Amino acid sequence: MVPIGPGFYPRIVLGITAALSAWLVVADWLAKKAPAPRKPANYGLVAAMFALFGLYAGALPFLGFRVATFAYVAAVNALLDPPRGARGWARVALVALLTAAATYVVFERYLLVLLPRGGWTGF
Amino acid sequence: MFDLLGAGLANIMQVKYLVPLALGTLVGVLGGALPGVTITMTIIVVLPFTFGLDPLQGLAAMTGVYVGGSAGGLVTAVLLGLPGTPSAIATTFDGHPMAKKGEPGRAIWLGVWASFFGGLLGGVFLIAATDPLARIALQFGPWEFFSLFILALSMVAGLVESSLVKGLIAGALGCVVTILGTDPVMGQERLGLGIPFLAGGIDFLPVLIGVFAFAQIMTELERGAGAPAAVAVGRVASLAVRHAKVIWEVLSRPVQLLWCSFIGVLIGVLPAIGGSAASMMAYDQAKKFSRHPERFGTGTPEGIVASEASNNANVGGSLVTIMAFGIPGDAVTAVMLGALTIHGIQSGPLFISQNATLAYGIFAAYLVAHPIMVAIMWAGSRWMLRVTTVPKAVLFPVVLVLCAIGAYALNNTMANVYVLLTFGVLGYGMVKFGFPLAPFILGVILGDQIEINLIRAIMTDADPWKFVTRPISGALLALSVGSVLLALWQHRRQQKRLAAVAQAEADF
Repeated sequence: MVPIGPGFYPRIVLGITAALSAWLVVADWLAKKAPAPRKPANYGLVAAMFALFGLYAGALPFLGFRVATFAYVAAVNALLDPPRGARGWARVALVALLTAAATYVVFERYLLVLLPRGGWTGF
Repeated sequence: MFDLLGAGLANIMQVKYLVPLALGTLVGVLGGALPGVTITMTIIVVLPFTFGLDPLQGLAAMTGVYVGGSAGGLVTAVLLGLPGTPSAIATTFDGHPMAKKGEPGRAIWLGVWASFFGGLLGGVFLIAATDPLARIALQFGPWEFFSLFILALSMVAGLVESSLVKGLIAGALGCVVTILGTDPVMGQERLGLGIPFLAGGIDFLPVLIGVFAFAQIMTELERGAGAPAAVAVGRVASLAVRHAKVIWEVLSRPVQLLWCSFIGVLIGVLPAIGGSAASMMAYDQAKKFSRHPERFGTGTPEGIVASEASNNANVGGSLVTIMAFGIPGDAVTAVMLGALTIHGIQSGPLFISQNATLAYGIFAAYLVAHPIMVAIMWAGSRWMLRVTTVPKAVLFPVVLVLCAIGAYALNNTMANVYVLLTFGVLGYGMVKFGFPLAPFILGVILGDQIEINLIRAIMTDADPWKFVTRPISGALLALSVGSVLLALWQHRRQQKRLAAVAQAEADF
């Protein structure tokens, strides 16, 4: 009998991953290429989007799907297309309200997919 | 087989299946037409809607998305010169010039009818090949399955454009994800880190959704946001054409149509390279075999037909691998695989014999989706460009909310939403550092199966040489070594060429 147990496969996979990573490090080191010039990119926006989604995921169990989704969609919409004046904010509110309401109705009422309830709001 | 197919067709014609199929096709066409939204993203968005449906309803909707998406990209490709999906890139080469020459209707309908016929040819292959291939796979022991999965992984790692090592690392990392949680053979908990959620292992769907959705949305955001996805849409001239004439134009080159569809199917069967590779390759082939290669790129009908026939035939090919072997041909079929598992259906060689109604229902849905796609194009191609004016500021949050719903509703746990975000960050990081996503996802999907078959093989017979000495298994392993060597060789050649180009440039 060969000594196999729950650790057999993980050892192989992790070993292969380690070997391949070492290969990559050596190959990069041997190539000694100058790093490619970086294109200017809007990393701030990317970080903000990840942060907002993190907040959304964190808030879902407390605020409930409807409230959290309204807030999240409004925040992202305002971030990506900064509203100007009352009309702009009305658009943000409308987009957020429609998204939250439509997804809720379609999923909970029509497709019978349960969405998170809020621990704080009970909504 | 034909009576089963007939039953499947009769089944799918019921309103309760026809409606999701038509809606799915419509959503697919729209998602395909939107630049920056791939078919993968469209199907990810559609996934949560299928949770409440019965398996065939859900899969019919997804098949519709797949077929519609492969065709939808051509409208934007022809009218704006931007590929609506990556698989329509080759359509822009000739479709857009033809539209600029004042024949947008002809260009679009050449594409639509080429998609239609190419897709149906793919369907013939799908229906004819799945059952025999599944029968072959039924003869496989654990050795053969292990080697088959290794072959799939190594091919994907080698086929991606970036470096081979990074492709292999991505595949291995995918397998690392699957070792978390219970050991699939003995059921012993491992690497749980004391977190109750990890003890059950990580579902691949939230991983897949997170990796693809975030990687795509975030790379789009880097270029700035807010502006509508496309330039303001000008007034489109009439798209009316004489269909008989266009159909004749497509069918009058039967060899080309067959050959391009065949390339599409073949690329589809190969795991994880999808429609974009198929259409580029078919375009290239059509140019090589054409009597007028110089006309390519100026708006020749041959170019449009080659690209569109192959990318729809590709769908048929991708469905073969998933239905016969349980190996997803691309990210879209990976989501379909997930939809099957949600309903407790095991994919793999037993699928078609154990779930014949469902399998033939999918075949029928695939066939019926094509006329539906043509009808949607007929009714809506004039208005389809409006979809490109949807601002990203609305599109992105809605897509991400649907991703969150999809992850949450899998088991009604928040944990999957956290997994979604974690792998979203990881996926974006991988893209930034040049690691391909396709091998990673394939690793996540196949990792468990690789382990199960490896352990089973060793428990059946302790001799490890069996993997090499059993003929089919040995051949599959030899092929996977061959594919890695081929990738190495190609990469080296490419680098030499790049170096030569750099040299030439330095001389001037």
